[in-house]
Amino acid sequence: MPVTSQTTSLQTERRFPLDLHKADDDIRGLYEDAKKARWDPETDLPWKQQALAALDEKTRSAARRVWSRRAWVEFTGMTETPALLIRFCLELNRESDPKYFLTVRNTEEAWHVECFHRYAEICGGYIDSPANPAWERVFNRNLYRDALNAEVPIDTYVAAHCAFVDGLELELARLWAANANEPVARAILEHCLSDYARHARFGWMYARRRAATMSAEMRERVAAALKRHIEEVEFAGYHCVALATTIDTRPDAADLELVTQAGLGAAAAAQEVAVFRDCVTRSRQQFADFGVALPTIQHPQLGSF
Amino acid sequence: MGASAVATATILDTPEARFPLRLGIENKRIRDLFRNATRQQWNPATDIDWSALHPEQYDDVHLRAARMYWSRRAWGEYGAISESPALQIRFCHERCVPDMALFFSIRSQEESRHAEVCYRMAEALGGYFEEPAATAYQGSVATHGIRKMALDPDISLEGTIAALVCAAEEIAFDVFLHLIDITVNPVARQVAKMILRDEVRHCAFGWAYLEQRMPQLTAQEREGVRQAVISLIEKVELNGYHSSWLAPENPASNAEVEIDRLTWEAGLGATTEELEKPVFLKSIATMRERMRDAWGLEIPLFTHRKFSAPF
Repeated sequence: MPVTSQTTSLQTERRFPLDLHKADDDIRGLYEDAKKARWDPETDLPWKQQALAALDEKTRSAARRVWSRRAWVEFTGMTETPALLIRFCLELNRESDPKYFLTVRNTEEAWHVECFHRYAEICGGYIDSPANPAWERVFNRNLYRDALNAEVPIDTYVAAHCAFVDGLELELARLWAANANEPVARAILEHCLSDYARHARFGWMYARRRAATMSAEMRERVAAALKRHIEEVEFAGYHCVALATTIDTRPDAADLELVTQAGLGAAAAAQEVAVFRDCVTRSRQQFADFGVALPTIQHPQLGSF
Repeated sequence: MGASAVATATILDTPEARFPLRLGIENKRIRDLFRNATRQQWNPATDIDWSALHPEQYDDVHLRAARMYWSRRAWGEYGAISESPALQIRFCHERCVPDMALFFSIRSQEESRHAEVCYRMAEALGGYFEEPAATAYQGSVATHGIRKMALDPDISLEGTIAALVCAAEEIAFDVFLHLIDITVNPVARQVAKMILRDEVRHCAFGWAYLEQRMPQLTAQEREGVRQAVISLIEKVELNGYHSSWLAPENPASNAEVEIDRLTWEAGLGATTEELEKPVFLKSIATMRERMRDAWGLEIPLFTHRKFSAPF
């Protein structure tokens, strides 16, 4: 494999003193809630009640692609969350609560991956790569490297990826679930929604907790990281295909349209962009509440966000 | 940040290439472990009958020792939270069979449950300790070096799994079985049982992975696996990572041995050198035999000042 130009700088762990006391009641509460809310993709979803037999071939193929893509997005957590967990452990004096929480979050992400893959399979077969190879670089973002990179402050990473991104994923899943009539798709999305809600709450809780002690310079770095994430990742179409400007997204948008109309848990590309726009607006307000000013961001085709 | 940083070559330096992204079942035994783990989740807050602990039945000396013992167990489990997730990154980076990353996601959660339950035990006995009483003992319990190994592109994944799982975790498993046999206090015993229930799967993962991989390795790679196992036994296990009586002789490790003795005496969960020695020896012998039979690897005899003959 090619080697990048930079060697990633990793922190050196100082294990002791090892504080395992509860430091944040709210985040510890999320961890306790997550343990109680455990579920089993094998037994808690109505796989036998699938109502896909009447689907035409075109819709079935579109569903395969949409749910496969969902699995690719969710798979990011298979490397990002362990990286973030390690990073929390490497940082000096970080609370135990987020560490515990992230271990449960990662299990939930694994369940989601398995569900999305299995749903794509029952729609006709999971697809392991994008039809248009241009999408590959949108997914291959090395997020786990950023999470571990000592030169990237962990608080900027959490703000962008745990608060904003997890909040966006929650809102998108809400939109898809509202359009899900097929019993298995609806059940998958409902289970994911409960998990996503905790993931987003964690991000915002921790961002708020850390913002209380942030310097003005660190607040600016958080705002810059958010802006960069939106410009480089979201505007590349990572979550919402219609935001992409360098890839022909008409086939992806057509798939979303068909899957939405069939009640298989999706939304039209334009609806996803509307949710994204709302999410940026609300996130900007939430960040402003704790002193982080997210600037207006210009999309090359869709105007300002 | 606050912590010091080093820049060394790791797998992080090569660009991500996740496609084609395989997600189907490629190692059924490991996928089944993932699904069994999903079914068998438990919660330290609610699934342990903490009311049966009765710390008031113990004197201060024994309580203090047991607090230190369970704190030390928590540090060990925490090591798995802090380091083993690096293996999951490695699995994805090397595009190993997808079952492995899925299983490890729940394995890390189990490690956090173990850290939590050991911490809760120490708290219930009077209070968790954040560090060893003497800094000299930190070297024995601070790290098993798995993070570094997992991220190092020059260290084989097979060797790391053979050493960490098929050697170290097998020993830990046998010691847990022994603890369940000798621990009198019902809560300490229940905690050990719950941890053991998860450890069964952790061990099975390693053998399931290597059963698939070993036949595909070259002679040189197989020798690398053998050396990794030897190195972990000599440098980590025989340095006291799991058993304090194996740590280098000094006042700090002697104090830890005494902590174990007092905790065992109270029936609160530890064991002693005399009782654990045969368990440890049998565990090493079983591991050696299994690696020979399953993989054709010859693990040599080891020596340690605590044993009169090579074992």
